[in-house]
Amino acid sequence: MDDYVIGVLSNIGVISFIALSAYLLLLTGEISFGQQAFFAIGAYAAGIATALWGWPLAAGLAWGAATGAAAAILVGVPTLRLHGLYFAIATLAFAEMVRLLFELFSYQVVVDGEFIGPNGADGFRGIRYIFENDIGPLRFLLVIYGLLAATLAAFMLIERSRLGIIFRMIGEDEVLAETNGIAVARHKVLAAGLAGAVAGIGGGLYAHLTTYVEPRIFDVMLGVHSLAYGLIGGLGTAFGPLLGVLIDIGLLESIRMFAGYRMIIFGGLVALLLIVRPRGLLDEIAVHRIRKAWPRILAAGERQTLHLRRPQ
Amino acid sequence: MMYSSRPWVLAAAAMAVLVSGATAAERARADVSCQPGTKTLQYDCAIKLTNARTGAPLTKVDLTVGADMPSMPMAHNVRPVKATPTEEPGTYRATIELEMHGDWALQLNLAGELRDRVIKTMRFEGDRAVQSSPKTPSRHKH
Repeated sequence: MDDYVIGVLSNIGVISFIALSAYLLLLTGEISFGQQAFFAIGAYAAGIATALWGWPLAAGLAWGAATGAAAAILVGVPTLRLHGLYFAIATLAFAEMVRLLFELFSYQVVVDGEFIGPNGADGFRGIRYIFENDIGPLRFLLVIYGLLAATLAAFMLIERSRLGIIFRMIGEDEVLAETNGIAVARHKVLAAGLAGAVAGIGGGLYAHLTTYVEPRIFDVMLGVHSLAYGLIGGLGTAFGPLLGVLIDIGLLESIRMFAGYRMIIFGGLVALLLIVRPRGLLDEIAVHRIRKAWPRILAAGERQTLHLRRPQ
Repeated sequence: MMYSSRPWVLAAAAMAVLVSGATAAERARADVSCQPGTKTLQYDCAIKLTNARTGAPLTKVDLTVGADMPSMPMAHNVRPVKATPTEEPGTYRATIELEMHGDWALQLNLAGELRDRVIKTMRFEGDRAVQSSPKTPSRHKH
């Protein structure tokens, strides 16, 4: 496979984590403009773990997920009472605070005769785990999609479980959920923690993919995009945000001839899509229809196979 | 019935990636200077590659140059182009076409003699391209 294609696929895989993170909060009815903060925390934490402390990649990514989750819980508790616009502003303010803190954060150690580590606005270079361990782009792509498949499987399990129903119930009507005996506060903090962990894993993978991070990467732009993926792709299933990422990065790559204007074109398309389908392409109704049609499609496929196998 | 062992091999390879520890490897050092090209937003870059440990010029590497805007990661990027070696040992040339002026992180991907990735942050402003100096704040301070 061409290195460029691997690069685009890797980007799609990595960015899917932050899309899933924002989607989980959207399920509980909260619009977060701050998931990029947990992505950043995961990126820095995982990068420090492997590049400075010499940890294996799995431990580094786990550490990134843990710090992302811890930070999300820390934000989730005081913002429990906030809703809608107020919650969105609070998360955005937190994300900007994190970004500015990383502009001041300096922690460098000498590795192999060179200073390595976060260096404020200059960023964090030398996260060279994949080069030090001779991991090719295809192998790393495999790691990204392996972890994405595991995360997606966990999302599917959650959505089919009581927990998933509770999340959706809180998202539909918080007061009604509370009157039905649901511990809303506890579940919202849990959703925030899980979303922080997912963003943290994505950040860790991003840092190792690019070998370099800097505070500007984790700007509000990334937060807006992560939110848009769920809204474009649909809120009916965890595949929705992935479809959103595919449309975003795939579309951006396919309209390269428009160069700098392609983001404007993309913005227009997003606005149009949200007018036509406010809950995205794979909304609850679409997912229900697909689920209903699926057994019929499978049965038709089986009939076709039997017909082909039957001796004439 | 035949079962393919390929998925298990791929899964084992992915697991090996996740649990292996860090080992020391050769690093590359790069000096980059870019000049405006013939077209708007086109820049000709001269890249000098050396071995970070020995200082020897890297003459047998396959170099590709890509770029990403740090403020809009994965949204504004340059499709990687192959750099061509010049007569001077360890020096390569590549022409990149940006989407807009501003701060870009040049991604130098090395393969062959030494496999590495070097990132250089540069500011491209019409008639000039300067390397972003360390400790330069990315935002205006009031």
